[in-house]
Amino acid sequence: MNQVTHTLIPALLAFIALSANSYSAQAATLDEVKSRGAIRCGVNVDLAGFARANALGEYVGFDVDLCRAVASALFNDSEAVDMIPVNSIERFEAVQAGRVDVLSRNTTWTLERNVLFGDFAGISFYDGQGFMVSRSSGYRSALELDNQPICVASNTTSELNAADFFSVSDMRYRPIYYDDDSETIEGYRNGDCKAYTTDLSGLAAQRSDFENPGDHFILPEVISKEPLGPLVAPNDSEWANVVRWSLNCMINAEELGVTSQNVDNEDIGTTPGIRRLIGTEGDTGTHLGLDPQWCTRIIRQVGNYAEIFERNIGPDTPIGLPRGINSLRADGGLIYAPPIR
Amino acid sequence: MKHLTRLLSTGLAVCSLLTVFSFNAQAATLDNVKSRGAIRCGVSENLPGFARANSLGEYTGFTVDLCRAVASALFNDIEAVEMIPLSSTERFKALQAGQVDILARVTTWTLERNALFGDFAGINFYDGQGFMVTRRSGYQSALELDNQPVCVTSNTTSELNAADFFSVSDMRYKPIYFDDEAKAAEGYIAGDCKAFTTDRSGLAAQRSNFKEPDAHFIVPEVISKEPLGPLVPPNDSEWTNIVRWSLNCMINAEELGITSANVDNETIGATPAIRRLIGLEGDTGIQLGLDPQWCARLIRQVGNYGESYERHIGPDTPIGLPRGINALWTEGGMIYAPPVR
Repeated sequence: MNQVTHTLIPALLAFIALSANSYSAQAATLDEVKSRGAIRCGVNVDLAGFARANALGEYVGFDVDLCRAVASALFNDSEAVDMIPVNSIERFEAVQAGRVDVLSRNTTWTLERNVLFGDFAGISFYDGQGFMVSRSSGYRSALELDNQPICVASNTTSELNAADFFSVSDMRYRPIYYDDDSETIEGYRNGDCKAYTTDLSGLAAQRSDFENPGDHFILPEVISKEPLGPLVAPNDSEWANVVRWSLNCMINAEELGVTSQNVDNEDIGTTPGIRRLIGTEGDTGTHLGLDPQWCTRIIRQVGNYAEIFERNIGPDTPIGLPRGINSLRADGGLIYAPPIR
Repeated sequence: MKHLTRLLSTGLAVCSLLTVFSFNAQAATLDNVKSRGAIRCGVSENLPGFARANSLGEYTGFTVDLCRAVASALFNDIEAVEMIPLSSTERFKALQAGQVDILARVTTWTLERNALFGDFAGINFYDGQGFMVTRRSGYQSALELDNQPVCVTSNTTSELNAADFFSVSDMRYKPIYFDDEAKAAEGYIAGDCKAFTTDRSGLAAQRSNFKEPDAHFIVPEVISKEPLGPLVPPNDSEWTNIVRWSLNCMINAEELGITSANVDNETIGATPAIRRLIGLEGDTGIQLGLDPQWCARLIRQVGNYGESYERHIGPDTPIGLPRGINALWTEGGMIYAPPVR
């Protein structure tokens, strides 16, 4: 009798433990984040304009702002984020192991990553891959790089695209591999390679760090399609929606003309579209498990899409990227979000 | 002792049942579909160009093609689809109750639907709401509809958008409600209303049914943003990916120039991107839980995005919708898919 009880109780305890464990493995990110009081955001180790620690050790940048937007929506505090720098190899492991709640780190949405690592909560930046060379090299086209050493980060889509490009162009491909963008660029600057390849956004960002940015030239060829976006763990629609609609809030805000400067104006809610965005009408906050002010807080504390673009990577920053394809649909670009309603 | 043993085995049986149940509830659509040998697809009851039964009772149309594409990828058989016609009121209940695996039925992606009913696997048609009037009425603009009866389908975004539009335009809104778009169109034809409002794709589709399509006029105002796409149950990334990448296969095929007519040409695999698309390179099929030919089959049996569009709703059909905003992003439109790699 005693012995059976001894067997029964541990068995039931084990079962309860297993159930609890499989539940949290399934779909509880939002609950976990709420009880932790902060989100854990995987960001680039150091990419100017996208994710970089300033003199105070605080991360700033375009990708970082998405994390801050989610923190604003959840906690009314854009600082409620643990920034976790991850290199291009570590990043997917970090999502799989649950060490980050969002990976916001210039990551291309591909089929393989979507299936193996999780769900992309949207496209925050439409990018494409290119090549940078030193002006003194005299190269004017990527088609002149036959059998020349090319600096490239391993485990990236850049690596595969470059191989494709050389193969299609009947050129010999001589890659030199590095673990991360910043190491790759160091290799290029040390003269390991004749050219450096990554997404055009990355080329512009890295070049802004050079002592003499004007000494380097981005070749005209765009060799791939690279939609960049935030990645979250699979099978957790509730959490994916919090991230997705935080991004969509910023895009819709730009489209409706709502900015950090005017979101608190008393006369801002002139149309139902704006009233739903800022929570004076409709239940979108409740649907997301948040409160009606979720999107207003994002706009107030972080800004709309245009504001984060201009502040971090736009033409008036050292990165100097034009809006181009990343303009709103209304302005001829591809940036678009389903409506908040 | 005997009693305890019985208790123990009952306890364990309940535990295993619970475990099995919670696994099924989580993410088993792909397994269910595979063992059933067919997908169940929720479609419009009768919307020319988008979903309509022909004289043999077979459904055809632009949204139906997405169901056939998934069936082709999974079963090498575009007929392995149970088409389940649903009204706009029934559609979300059917998805929640598990009566359909995909809702492929001109459904606008909104925050509320995303949070309450499931995940949108992409956008396959960028639409916007408009108004149709009789030419005889002499109306040239929606701004002339103050206090005039407007036929509209209940439980749709159209209903909300129309209310917004009238409110913003300082006009009195006099909606006449119907259960479904076809009934709303009948009401309009029967003279119940001065105008009929729904997405402009729906206006064009319904008009093609009228005895005298030319006697009706779509006024120029576009009063909303309506991204239409397939909806699947939440928390099931595996299944969402099958649907998402079936659509993305069709879009990427158009972008790469692969059609049902040339996909089997021996010389088609000229670039790595094409070779990956048709499964001569890479592992995308295995990653999706399918085989390497999944996308080639889909293109062969259903066609690329452009083919499906032209066949059902393009300028040469009675629906007569120009590609416009639904052109590829490389041709000035918004249709874009992450790369199959």
